[in-house]
Amino acid sequence: MAKITIDHRVIECSDGIPVLQAALDAGWDIPHYCYHPGLTVVASCRLCLMEMQLPHPKTGEMGWVPKLLPSCQTPVRDGMVVRFDSDLVRDNQKSCMEYFLIDHPLDCPVCDQAGECHLQDYSYKFGSAASRMADQKHTNPKKDIGPKTLLYSDRCVLCTRCVRFTEEVSGTHELCSVNRGSRQEIDVFPGMPLDNPIQGNVVDVCPVGSLLDKDFLFKQRVWFLDGTPSICPGCSAGCAIRVDQNEDVVYRLKPRFNPGVNDWWMCDEGRFGYKYVHDAKRIAAPVLRRGADATTPDWEAIPEIVSYRFAQHVAKHGDDKIAVVLSPMMACEEAWLLVKFIRGVAPSATIATGFVPTSGEAQHFPVGCKPDEAKFTILPEKCPNRRGVELITERAGGNTCDFDAFVKQAVGGAYSGAWIVGGYPDEWVPKDLTKATKHLKLLVMQDMFENTLTEAAAIVLPACAWVERDGSFMNHTGKIQPFERAVRVPQGARRDGQYLFEIAGHGGLYSGERVREMMAEEMSEFSEVGDAPPKPVHQH
Amino acid sequence: MIRDEDIIIVETPELSAAERLYLPQIIGGMQTTFRHLFKKNITVQYPEQKRELRVENYRGVHRLNRDEQGRVACVACFMCQTACPAHCIHIVGEESPWPDREKYPKQFDIDELRCIYCGMCEEACPVDAIELTPEYNLVSRSRQEMIFDKEKLLEVHDRTVDVKPRKNPRITGYPGTGNRSNEQPPGDDH
Repeated sequence: MAKITIDHRVIECSDGIPVLQAALDAGWDIPHYCYHPGLTVVASCRLCLMEMQLPHPKTGEMGWVPKLLPSCQTPVRDGMVVRFDSDLVRDNQKSCMEYFLIDHPLDCPVCDQAGECHLQDYSYKFGSAASRMADQKHTNPKKDIGPKTLLYSDRCVLCTRCVRFTEEVSGTHELCSVNRGSRQEIDVFPGMPLDNPIQGNVVDVCPVGSLLDKDFLFKQRVWFLDGTPSICPGCSAGCAIRVDQNEDVVYRLKPRFNPGVNDWWMCDEGRFGYKYVHDAKRIAAPVLRRGADATTPDWEAIPEIVSYRFAQHVAKHGDDKIAVVLSPMMACEEAWLLVKFIRGVAPSATIATGFVPTSGEAQHFPVGCKPDEAKFTILPEKCPNRRGVELITERAGGNTCDFDAFVKQAVGGAYSGAWIVGGYPDEWVPKDLTKATKHLKLLVMQDMFENTLTEAAAIVLPACAWVERDGSFMNHTGKIQPFERAVRVPQGARRDGQYLFEIAGHGGLYSGERVREMMAEEMSEFSEVGDAPPKPVHQH
Repeated sequence: MIRDEDIIIVETPELSAAERLYLPQIIGGMQTTFRHLFKKNITVQYPEQKRELRVENYRGVHRLNRDEQGRVACVACFMCQTACPAHCIHIVGEESPWPDREKYPKQFDIDELRCIYCGMCEEACPVDAIELTPEYNLVSRSRQEMIFDKEKLLEVHDRTVDVKPRKNPRITGYPGTGNRSNEQPPGDDH
């Protein structure tokens, strides 16, 4: 730890980090564009310049250096004295802002970044109200630099964060800065569009409205959006994300700082992979089938119907012919509640882990790096909670098996009753399992979309998307991360956690935290699940 | 939480004999009525007769202005929707089909029943595309009809543009930056 003095206040910070970082962590609002903690330092925007004390070369007396120094490029040393609250620093910030805004088109009303734009914020805080630019502004039409991203060079401040991102994190080198001086701009190489699996992050690192998502373009103004901390369910990496919604419609997902897991980044697959949430074909109401006629029972009646059916089945066929398939799309809490219910009615029921969708191989970034040196990884396992349901299955004890074994046994007619949980965004039912439905006299299906199993099921319960639920996922390294509910369930549906909570015999409202407390009594892993996700090092 | 010391108990005053008769009050009321019988009539037989609006900037039904080329002038910036205290404006923005503009409203709905006619939308609009007109006789047979869409709002413009021409905004911008006016910035003489 080092002690440094910023603006006459002594703060403690770790040795060797940039002074800018130390100041930001300690609560100073220092304007900066080019500095990003996840990228190398270039000190090109000159906004974060500070004054510093150094010994006089002749007398050795400590005094303020007459020139300004970049705080992002100056590492912290013990005993350092710097200041930002001087006229020299403020004048520099003001002049810098004036330069950044020389060619700015002032199209904030139609710019998607407005509201979360650092040109707006810094101009308001550190700039001046009027522009002195009298000449014609240099205009530059928007450019289509890739299938998912647009570049508005007009608005660019040339911080080169995006260029450094493609060089250092994605390792794909698509973006570059061309020309010099007032004609300098960001561009792609001819015939090489910005198209890599994590390119969406260039939009996030862009501090202004220069790089914009085509997917989100003109959809909403950002001040209408409410962000909820969540965990991406796209793969088993467990990236921390923020779900931005307005009036129960999800408009975009943004990464949240999560050190050691996804740091500042997320992949495009996760970023744009939420569209199924608003699919009109989703199952939105429970279905109860008796022979050929199907009815939609009241949610209040569901716990009783389900327990009665299972109790009746156990009385008739014995309790060892019942199986439960826990989907890796479920939260740990939901899986635990379901296990509690099944083991309550049928103590020797088989608990199986569900189908694990996989696709391709792990993709490490920067492209071509060794897996242990990767700055970001997309995993092939396309579900968030395989480790979690495995842990719960293991702790349940008794009869357990994996998905393949379950399918084999089910086809062989080993089970007469089953509760199968799906909840996958894509088609998932293996053909063999469809064949096994003829042996299943009682099939409870909990799924999001219609499939051959929901057609054969006696009771269909709607599974909700992760943005409508709350609970926790255990990622591939065994880290349990809580996520919160962002939007309400579709009309007629109910949160999985809520009906499982009621079916398992509890009263009142389900909350992930409440169930985690119950789980912690038997599973110590869940006693220390932090509810507050880590705070970002800095907001942008 | 209401505390006991905050409660003041007021006794109803006892009425005198004259007050209990109620006659003085009735006579007082009738006096006012008869006095008005001989005064000049101030009511208007609406809708046969219409009164002239006393103010020029009466805040009636909204309209969406057209630009010089007859296109909707709105740029779908959502400022009116943001400023609206009654949440009666619903816009769906889209990339504009015209080269000189970035964004335009694909859908623009105003719920005239929800609206409180405060004029904040007019104040907020950076291009003076939305304006309130002196039209006040807003009638319909259903609630659905009172949700004015883009076409209907443009129709209001066509109907009222002669009565109240568009303000023609002076957009503070600089020549050469997109669809800006060709005005020179203040103090620029060359």
